[in-house]
Amino acid sequence: MAPGTKGDSRDATLPLSNTPSTEGDAIKVYVRVRPPSEGAALADGDQGLCLSVLSSNTLRLHSKPEPKIFTFDHVANMDTTQEAVFSSVAKNIVESCMNGYNGTIFAYGQTGSGKTFTMMGPSDFDNFTNNLRGVIPRSFEYLFFLIEREKEKAGTGKSFLCKCSFIEIYNEQIFDLLDSASAGLFLREHIKKGVFVVGAVEQVLTSAAEAYQVLTMGWRNRRVASTSMNRESSRSHAVFTITVDSMEKNSEVVNIRSSQLNLVDLAGSERQKDTHTEGVRLKEAGNINRSLSCLGQVITALVDVGNGKQRHICYRDSKLTFLLRDSLGGNAKTCIIANVHPGSRCFGETLSTLNFAQRAKLIKNKAVINEDTQGNVS
Amino acid sequence: RGKMAAPTGWASLCEKFRSSLSLSNVESKKDPENEPYRSKYGARELLEEIRQLLGSEEAAEAEGAPAGEAAALRAVRLAVVEYELGVNHTETEELSAGEEHLLKCTRLLERHRLSRGCVSLYIQAQNNLGILWSERGEIKTAQTYLESAEALYNQYMKENGNPPLDPNEHFMAEEEKLTDQERSKRFEKAYTHTLYYLAQVYQHLEMIEKAAQYCHTTLKRQLEYSGYYPVEWALNAATLSQYYLTKQCFMESRHCLAAANVIFSQAGQVPSSEDNETEQDQKDLQQRKAEIARCWIKYCLTLLQSARKSLEDNIGELDPDRQTELKAQRKKEEDEKEKGRKKAVLFGTSDLCDSILATEEKVSCICPLDFQEAREVFLVGQNYVHEAKEFFQFDGYVTDHIEIVQDHSALFKVLAFFEEDYERRCKMHKRRIDMLEPMYVDLNPQYYLLISRQLQFELADTYYEMMDLKVAIGNRLEELDSHTIKKINSLAQLAVKYYELFLDSLRNPDKIFPEKLEEDVLRPAMVAKFHIARLYGKLITSDGKKQLENMQTSLEYYTFLVDYCEKHPEAVQAIETELELSTEMVGLLPTRMERLKAKLSPFS
Repeated sequence: MAPGTKGDSRDATLPLSNTPSTEGDAIKVYVRVRPPSEGAALADGDQGLCLSVLSSNTLRLHSKPEPKIFTFDHVANMDTTQEAVFSSVAKNIVESCMNGYNGTIFAYGQTGSGKTFTMMGPSDFDNFTNNLRGVIPRSFEYLFFLIEREKEKAGTGKSFLCKCSFIEIYNEQIFDLLDSASAGLFLREHIKKGVFVVGAVEQVLTSAAEAYQVLTMGWRNRRVASTSMNRESSRSHAVFTITVDSMEKNSEVVNIRSSQLNLVDLAGSERQKDTHTEGVRLKEAGNINRSLSCLGQVITALVDVGNGKQRHICYRDSKLTFLLRDSLGGNAKTCIIANVHPGSRCFGETLSTLNFAQRAKLIKNKAVINEDTQGNVS
Repeated sequence: RGKMAAPTGWASLCEKFRSSLSLSNVESKKDPENEPYRSKYGARELLEEIRQLLGSEEAAEAEGAPAGEAAALRAVRLAVVEYELGVNHTETEELSAGEEHLLKCTRLLERHRLSRGCVSLYIQAQNNLGILWSERGEIKTAQTYLESAEALYNQYMKENGNPPLDPNEHFMAEEEKLTDQERSKRFEKAYTHTLYYLAQVYQHLEMIEKAAQYCHTTLKRQLEYSGYYPVEWALNAATLSQYYLTKQCFMESRHCLAAANVIFSQAGQVPSSEDNETEQDQKDLQQRKAEIARCWIKYCLTLLQSARKSLEDNIGELDPDRQTELKAQRKKEEDEKEKGRKKAVLFGTSDLCDSILATEEKVSCICPLDFQEAREVFLVGQNYVHEAKEFFQFDGYVTDHIEIVQDHSALFKVLAFFEEDYERRCKMHKRRIDMLEPMYVDLNPQYYLLISRQLQFELADTYYEMMDLKVAIGNRLEELDSHTIKKINSLAQLAVKYYELFLDSLRNPDKIFPEKLEEDVLRPAMVAKFHIARLYGKLITSDGKKQLENMQTSLEYYTFLVDYCEKHPEAVQAIETELELSTEMVGLLPTRMERLKAKLSPFS
């Protein structure tokens, strides 16, 4: 298959749906079950699996004593192709992005559950003609395909500008993967462009191939960093952002639209090991923390329960949730791909991933309006 | 065993114990990530050796002399080792083994747990069993252990009270032993941990009030035993103040905030460890200060709002009878009630206490009952608004900045309630418009949809209120002058404009208004529709045709409410009053319109 905008898959899916956004703003949750690694499955047989896919949106977890049934927007079984994942998860979001919406795709799951395979593809290939390429390269292709088509339709009246940035969040610090020399970047909010990373490199993109090049270069930086600073890549979150600006001239009126597409590979969801940060936080021990420095979190939880509107909570969101504030209950189309490994040894982690995914379904655009009803009716 | 060998043997045992502690507490922090427990495993080996040596001694002893002082001593030493092993195993994720060791430790100490030598160790073992069970998700079991540790502390302090030995002292030579002061410090710290864990346990069990009480006590003890970071402590206290706010406990809330201010100022005084304090550290410090200021803003705001609530009549105006009544009541009750409560929550001792009290005096914790009193609270709140805005500037902290300005606007709004002069009240609302409108204009709703909606709604509401005030002022005049009419109409139109902007923000990309409104925007959307209906009813015009048009529009909006609730009966409960009035208007308006029509063309 040729790289670029001509491929097998897209011809079949040409028509842009006219109603991409009627499904409401709740976060879509997609569960993907990876096949167990070769050998393991054969040896264990079906008994070795801790879950089974019942239909295209339900799965059963073989928990004891009672099995548990989970329902999601979509459940992809082990045989699901990369193309199928892209079509049902990302396509819609890329399309909305062309319509001026912000979009975000997250991959969540324990290390080894297939997040990177889903988002990127197999680790050992370096061109994106590979049939196993993941959601991110396919999103690039589709995005630039749509841009080209728009341009053709509108002629010279419409122009596009795509830029991308690629950052990593590790230990609540932000690193620029497109500039390995930088360290300690900061988040800021701008009236017109929302939350952004100060000083992050923004690279202009003109084609999917170029986008892919930037991605692989940054991805390599991520791995290098993980050895030189003794980090584990699975403990960092990687956020690849494409900004699409379009300008349309209709007689004298100039119509400018701007939207963002975030592709996020989250850190492994498994229990974080004792990290000994600064010696202040001695040890995170499950629900109870040895260090008194977590007292604030307890109090925050108490305040959260209170239903009074007038209160202020001093503790900030994590960097990741702040950066993606918009995607988590904001004004954006968001999808979470929860990756699970079906092996029975992964039962605990799979359960917690499914529970997380279940909770994520409840997140939606929360529009709290300060409305004072007193005295307004008379 | 020769008598001479014993001291050297004992000395080497103590040395081993010391090494294990250093491995576990110091070295382990430098372990590589791929071998996170290397030092812990090293420490464990040493502990096992010590246990072997102690164990064999004890076994030898048990055959001979009856359990005397020596046996008791060995039992305690063994318990210390079991304790350390228990902690070691839990820290390395071997919970079952950890539990076994910890239980062994408590069993060995059971009979002597109230003695000076054992009480601290026993409490710490129970703390750790509490942690262990919480890690297993069995909060109830954790609670049992921790509450029993708490009870043991109380019993010991009541019956004995002497500074107990620190567990590590059981492996120290006589000359190394700790001072009583140090012993006390360590013992109290272990108990502080018990309370801190209990705070978490109660929070997990959703015993919120109790959890708050334990958080408060933990903070209090941190001050007393000086184990705290000023900034962190101040932030925690400020956060706790917000809990008290939600419970309308203004005295406690103010005390926490005053203490936060005092302790925070210590952070500035302590010369930074080195002079290489980075710009970032300075910025962090400023941010914390601004965060505490924001907690104060909420305090002032909530106090004023609470006062308004107690003073308003059934149409939301200040009720003078109620005002007189509350003023009379205040003197009698508040003083006594607060004195008793105050003792329970006071932070700090002498000096600190004085500074905190001095800070408290700057603002009341009693609901203001008239404009003068309300203004004082307002001014304090406004000062903190300015302080918070210094750090949270519009460019860079959009959301925070707008939230602070919204609070400022809310302060004006509630102060206006206490203002009797309508003209001056109107000016206060104009101030709100002046601070909110420019922010709204600049904001990109693509990224700030929620805030954008909040601003639309608040602006609409403010214009609506101003219009009402102008109408009230106009009603006092003999005859409405053209200036007032113009003013009323323009305010009404601006209110309509912002309500419409809000309603438009609910439309989908194809500009279609949703068939069914999401729960979280249901009420605001309905209120917006209802207010627009009323606003069209209030527009003043001498043109009969125009008036008829306005009535028609008004009717359409009222009808929307009625129809929507018919289609979605679950919406009724959210807007009962509005629905009732709308239904009434839908019944009345057509007749009124008919009458007007007849008047306009009497001969047709």
